[in-house]
Amino acid sequence: MNSLITYMAMNRLAASLPDFFFVAQVLPDPKTISAAQPTVVGTWNLWMLAPIVFGAIGYMLIQHGVVKSKPATGSGIIAILAAVILAIGFTPNTLESWMLMSFCAVATAGGVSFLVAREPVYAALGFATAVLSTCGILFMQSALFVAAATMIVYAGATIIIFLFVLMFAQHTDLRAYDIQLTNPLLAGAIGAVLLTTITMCVTGEKAFASNQVDATRPYSQASLPAELRSEKAEEFYQKTTPSARLVPGTTAGLGRALYTDYLIAVELAGTVLLVATIGALALAQRTTEEHA
Amino acid sequence: MFEYLKEIWPTLWPTLAAIGVILAFVPFLGLYMTFIERKLAAYVQDRLGPNRVGPFGLFHAIADAIKLFLKEQTIPAHVYKLLYFIAPTFSLMTAMFALVVMPFGPVPTEYSSGFRYIVAPGIDIGILMMIAISSLSAYGIILGGWASNNKYSLYGAIRSCAQFISYEIPLGLSIIGIIAAAGSLNIEQIVAAQGGPFWNWNMFWQPVGLLVFFTSALAETNRLPFDLPECEQELVGGFHTEYGGIKFVLFFLAEYTHVITVSFLTSLLFFGGWHFPGLTGPVDSSLGGMLLRTFVLVFKVGMVVSFIMLLRWALPRFRFDQLMGLAWKGLIPLGLVNLLCVAVVLTFDLPKHLLSFTAIFIFVGSLISARQLQFTINRPRSAGRPSIAQTTSEVTI
Repeated sequence: MNSLITYMAMNRLAASLPDFFFVAQVLPDPKTISAAQPTVVGTWNLWMLAPIVFGAIGYMLIQHGVVKSKPATGSGIIAILAAVILAIGFTPNTLESWMLMSFCAVATAGGVSFLVAREPVYAALGFATAVLSTCGILFMQSALFVAAATMIVYAGATIIIFLFVLMFAQHTDLRAYDIQLTNPLLAGAIGAVLLTTITMCVTGEKAFASNQVDATRPYSQASLPAELRSEKAEEFYQKTTPSARLVPGTTAGLGRALYTDYLIAVELAGTVLLVATIGALALAQRTTEEHA
Repeated sequence: MFEYLKEIWPTLWPTLAAIGVILAFVPFLGLYMTFIERKLAAYVQDRLGPNRVGPFGLFHAIADAIKLFLKEQTIPAHVYKLLYFIAPTFSLMTAMFALVVMPFGPVPTEYSSGFRYIVAPGIDIGILMMIAISSLSAYGIILGGWASNNKYSLYGAIRSCAQFISYEIPLGLSIIGIIAAAGSLNIEQIVAAQGGPFWNWNMFWQPVGLLVFFTSALAETNRLPFDLPECEQELVGGFHTEYGGIKFVLFFLAEYTHVITVSFLTSLLFFGGWHFPGLTGPVDSSLGGMLLRTFVLVFKVGMVVSFIMLLRWALPRFRFDQLMGLAWKGLIPLGLVNLLCVAVVLTFDLPKHLLSFTAIFIFVGSLISARQLQFTINRPRSAGRPSIAQTTSEVTI
């Protein structure tokens, strides 16, 4: 284990990772990516499973060790550290990736403190930290609108309502089920499977570059080169001004995509929210006898 | 690393300079806004105001600052230490962070090199980013109130929670009309869309939007008549009861920073930003034009700040149910109606100054409500009308 870490550290210093680990992934400039030739960001290899497995083992050991034995906890922490170091080994050594890593670290810390905090208010704050760091990651990916919306909806409204309720709550002693999970093995396994799936999707052969157009949708096709447009996209292209055919990725482009290609989904979501609001009003309404 | 720094330096230094301007001027402005506020209050109440330290009492604010900074740092024994210290800093941090996307001078919509009057130019979601960050400013107050471990502070914090959540909705509604008209969330674009003759300013064709925006933004600053989280008559000092010295200064500075932000936003979004009759069109980079435009913007901001300060002495504080009623029954429907009107005008390409007539409705509505109010106040308490005690008992806070 140790030798592996040293080996990787040396490799990082030399800035040349061996091929079977990771080929430093340099995405081309977004403007030069043509939508016709999707950039392949396939960097997936089986070694990427190693940090996930280490992490899962470390989690199970800690979960088991907190109640049972100290050595188990210690080795669990070591395993998680190893997973973190291995994961760092897989990321390119650029300023952006280090910022990304620190945001991820803060988000993880927030999530952990959300789970382990004894005081509900601290748990809510941990949640807020996790949400805000996630917003930081979204900002880094230039998903500005989504980041701002997440900030307003979750950090600005939802968690504040949680805090509002929690302030009325009395502090009571913790139960056993608050302190330990009932099934660390299952939780660790599910987490590992989920992480593997996400990693495969993100780094696999068919992964999409973030700025790629969803070319299956007619209106989004309008921003493609002429030979790739379908009939409907061509019609839309002729009808609209250049500003209306913005590249997806800007807020205007996002709005255009939502209100052309995904209109029914947006309207349905709005309807669901409206129904929920009416339901909440109906539930909250007091009868006249009680009122008087 | 050094090579990298050298490479990004041409784009880095304007940002650093803009951050420096904000960091230098906001505390200074906050300091002197206390002075201006006291002077204005004195004029309203026919007093002299601070006039002892320096010429016209100009150094009074500095003396105040020195006093507050040198005070002993008392930490009450019963507070939650960590959050107690985080709360004021978080409060100021969110207030200052909202200024990142705010132009404090003329900013052209196309960027060239050199100094610019904004920290982060060309952010695609400018105004939304600002609202997102200022929605976090509730945390400072909530944490301060909770960490003080004191019933009065907690009440202040809870009130502030409810107030923030309620008033964010009309705040967001009121600016959608402007965004739709300008076709962009970017503040520079919104200001550029108000160029031309002065009746193109948003205030002249969206008076309802201005009313809703200004009222709800004022509520977010926690100032009178919306200062329920800290109202002295009921809650001692509200959320900052347990804070003294420099920690109190941080809360206070955050409040004044909010006032500055709100004034800038109102001037930029509704009063035409750096446009003025005779000074319209795209921003040129000549020094004179830049300075003149900056002066125009700062003048407008000063006007709004003075208006906010005079409001303090014109309006009494709301009762809590009135506060909630204003947001949910008054401002949100008004904002929705305004949005609908703007949508109709924009969709059918009607002349947008048709909407100016909504100002008449506001005027008539306020006349009617003032008359109603007069009747209600003058009418003796009868069985038909619920007394004040009854209406307040419905609200649990």
